[in-house]
Amino acid sequence: MRQFKTYEKGDALPGDYRKALLHLMSFQADSEYAGAQRVAENHRFATRPEEAYRLSKKVFEEMGHAFYVWNLMQDLGVDVNARLHELSHNPENPDPAKVNVINGFRKENWSRFFDCWEDVALFSTVVTPAAVAFLGQYQNCSYLPFARVNVRIHKEEFGHLAFGVWASKRCIEFGGTPTREDMQQRIPKFMRMGMGFYGRPSAGGDRSQMFDMYYEFGLKTKKPEDLQAEYLQLLDSRLKEIGLEMPREVEADYDMRMGYEAGEEPSLMAART
Amino acid sequence: MSGFVRDPLLERNAEQLAHFGYVPSVSGSADEQPDWAGWWRQLRADFATVHLSQVPSYAEMSPWPQEAARIYMRRRLVADRLFEECRKLHGELLEYGISTERVEAYSLARDAYEDSVHQFGAARQTLEEILAAQADVRQSR
Repeated sequence: MRQFKTYEKGDALPGDYRKALLHLMSFQADSEYAGAQRVAENHRFATRPEEAYRLSKKVFEEMGHAFYVWNLMQDLGVDVNARLHELSHNPENPDPAKVNVINGFRKENWSRFFDCWEDVALFSTVVTPAAVAFLGQYQNCSYLPFARVNVRIHKEEFGHLAFGVWASKRCIEFGGTPTREDMQQRIPKFMRMGMGFYGRPSAGGDRSQMFDMYYEFGLKTKKPEDLQAEYLQLLDSRLKEIGLEMPREVEADYDMRMGYEAGEEPSLMAART
Repeated sequence: MSGFVRDPLLERNAEQLAHFGYVPSVSGSADEQPDWAGWWRQLRADFATVHLSQVPSYAEMSPWPQEAARIYMRRRLVADRLFEECRKLHGELLEYGISTERVEAYSLARDAYEDSVHQFGAARQTLEEILAAQADVRQSR
């Protein structure tokens, strides 16, 4: 078990630690909210009432995750209401100088992944396990208030994964074998995004410049390789449950999660001490 | 609350519940004069599967599935009210800003909405089973 110094609400935080913490928190919170906005846009694909109601529930939950994390950032002196204002007033193109949204949750990137309800179902089945694994590591991180809200978030992310499995099974129940075959072909595009979610390997030429620092601080508690193994195990079990197969030789798309490894973030300059 | 024969014992039960806040239905509101047939037209698509291609209209249903359909639609009404609660609390976060009180209030509301959506789904399953069972009986005749 790794040992690292932990911090409670109100503790004095070292400057570099605080900067790294706010970086991760802002990407999580802003991206949760932007992700909820994208999920809300996907309502147009819901062809049956229960699907629409369940998706609506998911929108509220993703926004709720943002509120949990923003509330903690507010304690650290960040003007989070300005972030909420920016995202709610410019949902399609929020200013990168004001909020930190991962590339995959920006409308221009997100939209090209979705053509039909089957894509919506598969996103929650194939990409959400990556979020479950990635965000799950924060449950044991060194900033304890952040760890506690991520216990709550993790539980609901598992619920979103269950939604994906439920929705995928329903697609096949209604559409039969042709739908199953169509969905099988759609898995790789989402799997590329899922595999890129937790970042580049911690060793080798392409390694993340920032990972060691986050790991040293105890903010990230698992290596990308461990998260990948967790992701693939989760994904494999859920695809089997639906009756779909795990595609082979899929390569990660790291561009869709761009932001978690960046250095300085303009949107947080005002919050620095 | 008229138009049907009343059991005196159940009427006394209603009086007892009224001591704790039970309010009889108020005629005139959308929830109390429901357009069951109209709502069913919007929702019946949820029941057309590869196993059940012909979903009856509300008028075509016998009392048993009709009651299951009404429960299913009532569950949806409850979900709708809790959906509005979430929207209202979300609006307050936008208007008044993020605070622990408002974040936790919103969290409670969306938990309740989640429960109601799951109950809506459970009611769908019950109705689906009844419709499937009746379809099997029709086919075997």
